[in-house]
Amino acid sequence: MLSSYKVLDLSTERGLMCGQVLGDLGADVIKVEPPGGSAARQLAPFYRDEPHPNRSLYWWSYNRNKRGITLDLECEEGQALLRQLVGGADFLIESESPGVMERRGLGYETLAALNPRLVYVSITPFGQDGPKAGYVDSDLIIMAAGGPLLLAGDADRPPVRVSVPQAYAHTCVDAAAAALIANHERARSGRGQHVDVSAQQAVTFATQSNIVASQIGEGKEFQRCAGGIRLGPFKVQFQWPAKDGYVSITFLFGSSFGPFTRRLMEAVHEAGFCDEATRDKDWIEYFAMLFTGAEPPEEYDRVMAIVAAFTESQTKAELFALARARGLLIAPIATTEELTVSEQLDARGYWQMQEHPELEDRFQYPGPFAKFSETPLAYRRRPPLVGEHNHEVYVQELGMSETDVADLQARGVL
Amino acid sequence: MSTEGGPLADVKVLDFMWAIAGPGATRMLADYGATVVRVETTLRVDALRTVEPFLSNPPGAESSALFHNLNAGKRMLTLDLSKPEAREIALDLVRWADVVTESFTPKAMRSWGLDYESLRAVKPDIIMLSTCLMGQTGPAASFAGFGNLAAALTGFYHLCGWPDRPPAGPFGAYTDYIAPRFNAVALLAALDHRRRTGEGQHIDLSQAEAALHFLGPAVLDRTVNQRTQEPEGNCDLNHAPHGVYPAAGEDRWVAIAVINDAQFAALAEAMGRPEIGSDARFATAALRRQCQDELDEAIAAWTRAREASETETDLQLRGVPAHVVASSADLCADPQLVHRDHFVRLPHPTHESTLVEGSRFKLSRTPAKVEGPAPTYGCDNQYVLETILGYDEDHVTDLVIAGALE
Repeated sequence: MLSSYKVLDLSTERGLMCGQVLGDLGADVIKVEPPGGSAARQLAPFYRDEPHPNRSLYWWSYNRNKRGITLDLECEEGQALLRQLVGGADFLIESESPGVMERRGLGYETLAALNPRLVYVSITPFGQDGPKAGYVDSDLIIMAAGGPLLLAGDADRPPVRVSVPQAYAHTCVDAAAAALIANHERARSGRGQHVDVSAQQAVTFATQSNIVASQIGEGKEFQRCAGGIRLGPFKVQFQWPAKDGYVSITFLFGSSFGPFTRRLMEAVHEAGFCDEATRDKDWIEYFAMLFTGAEPPEEYDRVMAIVAAFTESQTKAELFALARARGLLIAPIATTEELTVSEQLDARGYWQMQEHPELEDRFQYPGPFAKFSETPLAYRRRPPLVGEHNHEVYVQELGMSETDVADLQARGVL
Repeated sequence: MSTEGGPLADVKVLDFMWAIAGPGATRMLADYGATVVRVETTLRVDALRTVEPFLSNPPGAESSALFHNLNAGKRMLTLDLSKPEAREIALDLVRWADVVTESFTPKAMRSWGLDYESLRAVKPDIIMLSTCLMGQTGPAASFAGFGNLAAALTGFYHLCGWPDRPPAGPFGAYTDYIAPRFNAVALLAALDHRRRTGEGQHIDLSQAEAALHFLGPAVLDRTVNQRTQEPEGNCDLNHAPHGVYPAAGEDRWVAIAVINDAQFAALAEAMGRPEIGSDARFATAALRRQCQDELDEAIAAWTRAREASETETDLQLRGVPAHVVASSADLCADPQLVHRDHFVRLPHPTHESTLVEGSRFKLSRTPAKVEGPAPTYGCDNQYVLETILGYDEDHVTDLVIAGALE
């Protein structure tokens, strides 16, 4: 879809996914790495647990559909070569700390003077400016600084994150959207611009607007409550035991969710776990009944125990089948093992087998993020090896001589 | 609402999306100048309107801050799509629109005669985005639910928690915070393709499938190494120490993540325990990962009596990644977010004012603008029918009488 665009991806481990999203959409993405390869290639897990720059599964996850070249942007020759590459680029993505690119003579103003059409995307922890622009960070720090972290985890323990880094994934897809907004405008004006993406701001969306809770209404902050939510003195349970693990149930009441709970209780009743009176409680008005005391807390506890007894008598798969047949809000809490054999994902042909000739093997990758009816996304390239396309880009496309390239290589510029 | 200068000022969106994942995407387009006409019915309340936080107690249909945040800057038309007259209005809007978006389960648009084939019949180059939990096809296509359930199905839930406890799961409808970004990307790419080729298309975006990209390394660990990752609390595969530590005050915490050896030495220095920093047992991340409990205890002993913000500042000055685990009160007063104009206070017809978030990123030459608060039920019916579609007053009256605008 975007095959007419060229992207220079200078990003560190923070920004890799932005270029991959554009690459998945068809853009020609050139990943520019320091000599020896990106530091992201040192990140675990590794293929067969063998630390090696071409075997990081972190690297594999975010560099598909890119070509790879090496270039030392700390030296003048490298900077000059980069400026040459910029002449033919539509997008540039970088994720250095604010000021680093300017110091290298590769800041937005300098490159825009060479190529006014350039959309220049900067991905940073806190944005290009402001009192925290110089802060150092990591995934955990951003999840703390943007709000989602405090909301997750057991009430009696510290807040807890998803153990696979999330912050820069959110940030990078925002960055790709931002780049495409600038691209849309460029089609009219012929001019590019600087896109400044803040990871802290990107992850605020994962607070589900609880970020503003203290400043509106009664100013009540959300209290984290693992496996559910707290409503006044009551815990609404979302995570339930199954025979072989756990399931998630949106066990809620009120006009939107009450009808789902009503159908769940019908199933609980049919399976012989509760009487008719329990099944027939007013699940629409149930919150109000709890709050006014019309429904005593002990009765609520009894209902919870009944539902748990029911879910515990079934497997995750049985409960999911029931949910689909009866319109219930139940889903298995799946492990990566279970999700990689999902019937639904298989039926949709989701998984992509990616050849890795360097390992004489092929591996199952998550498939395209969307199905486009006229322009299906293709996995054209596995993640590049260190400097895999140096010859192709420097000699064939930039027109440098073999000897010049060999010389730059020998002197550590490439 | 269309603006003179917004980068997407020429983009017209007919938006049938509800809940979070859809409206979050069109909010982004609206911020950058697209005209978004949100279609909603008063007969069935959008679940979004029933979700906290609320501007009033007891809450009403117009008082969810989440609804306000996701729908600011859009126009709204109320339609009862079960009425044939409403379908005709919808098709007129399809003729007007560049993009049609919907986030129902797959059968809904078909039942109203508004599936992609029907839309294409009246507007051959229309771009239609259908996004739901599991995608438009497959045995679980009709499985309805919210992002908390997709987070369970796709492995996020399992990978968030403590090894000795049942999984805690990330907060809320987690995949709903991922999908909108991909929805926006998909629409913008399809618009670019149409501009260059004249070709529209139908996009089928499964929330579960898009979200799985956020678990890439764990998924590949399974498919490549046959290893099933288990929750690790706040530990990290590559870095140590790495955790959330207690601070002075009730439920106050500070996150600290040491990502190289120099930072570890600087942390030890800050703690007044330089000997830890030079201890050979802690020389590398791999070694430190093995004695994480011991290190965590020493760090917690230092952080416990201090203000979280004091620890943050102290460590950041030494180049060690640290931050207060921010609450809403922290975030609303955060000098960085304030500097970045993250919060936008808007007048609101039902409430005195409402507070929403601004654009999460900045475009240097064509900045975002929040045109107005989220629309209230039916507030733009006249504008949409008369100004956009050019219906005359009698026609609109007939539609009201027919009950099409409920």
